[in-house]
Amino acid sequence: MEFTLVNFLLFMVNCVLSNNFIFSRYLGCCPFLGVSGKVETAAGMGVAVTFVMGLASLMTYIVYHYVLVPLNLQYLDTISFILVIAALVQFVEMFLKKSVPALYSALGIYLPLITTNCAVLGVTLLNISDQYNMFWSVLNGVFGALGFLLAIVLMAGARERLESSNIPESFKGFPISLVIAGLMSVAFLGFTGLVN
Amino acid sequence: MNLRMSAGPHFVARESTQTLMLDVIIALIPTAAAGVYLFGIRAAWVLAVAVISAVLAEFIWQKLAKKPVRVGDLSAVVTGLILGLNMPSEVPLWLPAIGSFIAIILVKQLFGGIGHNFMNPAMLARGIMLVSWPAQMTIYTLPVRVLGTTSVVPSPDAVSAATALIRPSAYSNYDLLIGNIPGTIGEVCKLAIIIGFLYMLFVGTISWQIPVTFVGSVALLSWLLGSDPLVAVLSGGVLFGAVFMATDYVTNPMLKVGHLIFGIGCGVIVVVIRKFGSYPEGVTFAILIMNTVTPLIDRWTSRRVYGTVKKHA
Amino acid sequence: MRKKQTMRGVFINGVLNENPTFRLVLGVCPTLAATTTATNGLGMGAAATFVLLGSNIVISLLRNFIPDKVRIPAYVVVISTFVTVVQMLIQAFVPALYESLGIFIPLIVVNCIILARAEAFAGKNSVLLSAADGLGMGAGFTLALILIGMVREIIGNGSVFGIDILGSSFQPMLIAIMAPGGFILFGLILGIVNSIVSKAGKRSAGKGA
Repeated sequence: MEFTLVNFLLFMVNCVLSNNFIFSRYLGCCPFLGVSGKVETAAGMGVAVTFVMGLASLMTYIVYHYVLVPLNLQYLDTISFILVIAALVQFVEMFLKKSVPALYSALGIYLPLITTNCAVLGVTLLNISDQYNMFWSVLNGVFGALGFLLAIVLMAGARERLESSNIPESFKGFPISLVIAGLMSVAFLGFTGLVN
Repeated sequence: MNLRMSAGPHFVARESTQTLMLDVIIALIPTAAAGVYLFGIRAAWVLAVAVISAVLAEFIWQKLAKKPVRVGDLSAVVTGLILGLNMPSEVPLWLPAIGSFIAIILVKQLFGGIGHNFMNPAMLARGIMLVSWPAQMTIYTLPVRVLGTTSVVPSPDAVSAATALIRPSAYSNYDLLIGNIPGTIGEVCKLAIIIGFLYMLFVGTISWQIPVTFVGSVALLSWLLGSDPLVAVLSGGVLFGAVFMATDYVTNPMLKVGHLIFGIGCGVIVVVIRKFGSYPEGVTFAILIMNTVTPLIDRWTSRRVYGTVKKHA
Repeated sequence: MRKKQTMRGVFINGVLNENPTFRLVLGVCPTLAATTTATNGLGMGAAATFVLLGSNIVISLLRNFIPDKVRIPAYVVVISTFVTVVQMLIQAFVPALYESLGIFIPLIVVNCIILARAEAFAGKNSVLLSAADGLGMGAGFTLALILIGMVREIIGNGSVFGIDILGSSFQPMLIAIMAPGGFILFGLILGIVNSIVSKAGKRSAGKGA
């Protein structure tokens, strides 16, 4: 896909709205359900994920096209990508601990769990299967993560609002969060077809 | 002490909810009457099934959940009525029934009942119906009777017809205003909607910000993109949505400035979906999308009002 | 005195008490993605069970040799090896499943269930018990996926495992096999399961105590 402003904008709209990673593609649900209790924490998680997904897209692209393909080892993509991501998250963890300790402690255990966030590994694999070049791969990672950020912040807003509501006991927590996600993704269906 | 906790707006007594709902029902009467006149007895059946199902759903839930039965507050009636008005008159009758059940149980009661739903029940049910049964939900037919002098030929048999959104030049502005066009039962007669709007403004049920900014942004953006703004506003469900659904105070922002954002957002999204999206009409999704953004709008707008001290990192 | 675990007990624990989908609520993404039909649910469940079993056994075998500091990356290598194997097996023998599950097959690597069991169980228990845990969790996951898959397939397609059971007059509710339907139905089923479990718990608490 050639780079034009129109393509760029349409790509962004597609990643963030029409094919939102959470609401359309089911990628990233675990942290989406787990870290969406408060808007600030959710936003922090979203930003961290954006950082990781962008970098992961870049690094896995390099590994795939400059290491695996020349050696005809494409089937090792899953193993190599997840190792790259695990290393990357370790690095981000150390970085945050030094530079933004407040965010580090707020995210807690969810920070290392970014490694198992299906959205991260998912986007790196999608980059390969959709055959994006390096530029669009990185953008895919960044915009996809922005879609994740949007979704998790919207979810946090809704859950904060529902804190004082009288939800049936057996639905509190995960069940109602799943229903909320479902209702929101109905709304997001409105963005279908914005990019053809 | 039994403290009842809920997010604003707060309903204190059943009586006040009932009065509020009664006013909405009164405002809906011209629209419902016009719809039944234009589309015939079939429309009346759809409305009846929708309302009865909604009340039944709420009654059953409250009985099973061992809560006090509050169907007397008429909120279920309003939800059913609005849902029914949002359907074409030729829908199979099980559709409004299922829709009402979804609206009341899934969107409203599961979240804690009246005042706690964070998205508009009728809109969400309509969205789910539209996506689940796209064919049945879009059987638009010409009215069986017409109002006034018009070149539109009414069709006593249900004949599928394109709505004014798909073929805007087929209908005159008068037809668009009075309702001699295909569409859902409630959206076609703009005159009746306007009468209802004025009534609700007069008795204070709603305020002008959302309907006016909603309709205004649709007109402005459509005009900027090269369409006739009047036709844009008079086609499809913009007026009905702006007056009766976007104004649901439970699911829109709390402050007036939030209302302006909400209205503009709805209008913009409607035009974007109409012009660029897959669905011919964007009102349903526009309102739902703005519903999801509402908690965030409240957060951002209320901070300024209450003067919260900025947290130090 | 710690109650000694039996293979049978561990297995049943994975299917019921600590069912990964309904009680631990792990592995949400594949649960939503692979339940568009009952067959997909079965396929994903089987693949995940294969990986779970394999990785639990290997990790348990190596548990005294893996240094604590690098245990997570080590687990990840083991798990991803098994995932690559199952990926190739499915691609070769069940290409239709490979098509319908798509990217979620390699994503089994990050299925939280597998890493969680490696960390919580296989790293600390004998090979036989770890195998039982892997099988139990896998079975629990598979059963959950089949259940949700059946519900979504019946509502959204009128069929079960591809067999049309509701006849041609049934108008399927398309949203059930789309993303919103997946979220909503999973949430509803989870809530219903919770309420059944808590009612059963209250009854036995009232009796026994």
